[in-house]
Amino acid sequence: MSNSAAREVKRRDDVFVEKTQTKIWLEKPSESNPYIAETSYCHGYEIFDLMKNCSLVEVIYLLFKGELPTEAQKTLLEQLMIGLINPGPRHAATRAAMNTGVGKTNPVHILPIAAIVMGGERDCGGAIEDTMRFFRKNFRQPAEDVAEQIMATENVEDWPGFGQIYGGRDIQTTRLAETLLALEGAGDIMQWAANYVVALAKANAGWLPVGLAAAVFADLGFHPKLGGPVYQMITAPGLIAHGFELYTKPLTSMPYVKDEDYEIKN
Amino acid sequence: MKSKTEAEIIAELDGRRNKIVSHNGGWLPGKGVFIHGHRLLEDLVVNESYMQIVVLNATGKKVSTELGQWMEAIFGCMSWPDPRIWCNQIGALAGETKASVSAATVAGTLAGDSRAYAQGALIKGMDFIRAAMAKVESGMTPQEVTDTEVKANRGKPNIMGFARPLAQGDERVSALEKLTAKLGFAVGPHLQLAYDIEEALFARFGESMNIVGYMSGFLADHGFTAEEVYRVYAVSVMSGVTGCYVEYADQPANQFLPLRCDDIDYVGVGIRSVR
Repeated sequence: MSNSAAREVKRRDDVFVEKTQTKIWLEKPSESNPYIAETSYCHGYEIFDLMKNCSLVEVIYLLFKGELPTEAQKTLLEQLMIGLINPGPRHAATRAAMNTGVGKTNPVHILPIAAIVMGGERDCGGAIEDTMRFFRKNFRQPAEDVAEQIMATENVEDWPGFGQIYGGRDIQTTRLAETLLALEGAGDIMQWAANYVVALAKANAGWLPVGLAAAVFADLGFHPKLGGPVYQMITAPGLIAHGFELYTKPLTSMPYVKDEDYEIKN
Repeated sequence: MKSKTEAEIIAELDGRRNKIVSHNGGWLPGKGVFIHGHRLLEDLVVNESYMQIVVLNATGKKVSTELGQWMEAIFGCMSWPDPRIWCNQIGALAGETKASVSAATVAGTLAGDSRAYAQGALIKGMDFIRAAMAKVESGMTPQEVTDTEVKANRGKPNIMGFARPLAQGDERVSALEKLTAKLGFAVGPHLQLAYDIEEALFARFGESMNIVGYMSGFLADHGFTAEEVYRVYAVSVMSGVTGCYVEYADQPANQFLPLRCDDIDYVGVGIRSVR
């Protein structure tokens, strides 16, 4: 056993930076007050210039990538964002938002609460990184071979980004994928993923929203770790809308499981 | 390949609609509140500490008064109201904006779910000591276990539970050693192994055990798994975060480390135009 002298606390000589650095945002101060910004620039573009000449999706892409998107990239991201804007009232994250609302929690808590749930690893943003890394690792191999291998060795619930919902194929996401695949911006990863799901049909499995988002993010060149947060952002409007809808209604506006349907086994 | 058919899954889901079967417990008005078979209000609240109830809810295990007291002390060890620590800084910033104290505390607490520090580091610490014990049981010496781990870390001593950010040494370990002795707990095999590894690491690098290492050894000796420890301590930094929140929520605006525009170092592309 070491004596406690061995654990004497000594500060390390870590060198921390003097200032936080950013490539994203420049604030030019006013002449009279160094704390007040007179103009702001996003990756070099003045905010008023962006307001006048760009769409919201273009500026979102600029924030994440540092450059404005091409027309094809903009359309791809915009259509994905519309397609996934609302996970719907049965998704766990939306249900968390609705519980926040119906419970009369301060409305500014709706989004953070729901976004936490949307950060989970099952059918949520937390699954995106793994899926994007799965593409990186496998997309140089024939999609059919990768599908055969995953169907033979792994449980459908553990496949990154693809699989089943409620025991079957996700019809709407398959349609979203077909729509996005027809766009000019759809690249190699989306095409590979499309071939992959053709093979997965054998197992009654296919596209899931997280797989679709991961494929689009990969083709747009996003970092895998950025995928989860961007997915949370894309779904945020739906989460807020459903949460707030119930905020204005009585506590009794959502079902409450009856005592006779609540069985305690212990 | 999946084992259930779509029809079987639909039937199973239909059986769960508007129905909850709980093994953990719940409230049945008129009958009582139950946690893992124990009555909350008639038994637990009267006879047990809050920490014992926390452990029961998180793990299903009923711990002794003494073990509950030991496990609660970790919350004290994690309650540093220093707003330079990353999770606490979020509390202070939320105080600046007058976010609610709940939002601030939850936000800062969530930041502790990190791979570098706080509760996020616990799983790795627990996994390490359990894996180390398995290696010792299969014939390696603590010195060999330490050397293997250091080699896997490219020659660095940053084994989770030993060494820590910002400083060498950890004053919390001494506090916990006193408490362990006061409560009459013996040093079990995992904790002893942690001491042995500390000795090997100290001799080579001057690095010692930190609170995660001590907790991991002690709690592994008491039969807890990594996931159980992570669940018990999910919110262990919260009190320090709240402390940092209240200090700045009670002050005028912009008191916490105010930044001038030029305090941010812009290193991006030069000014340009869209068209």
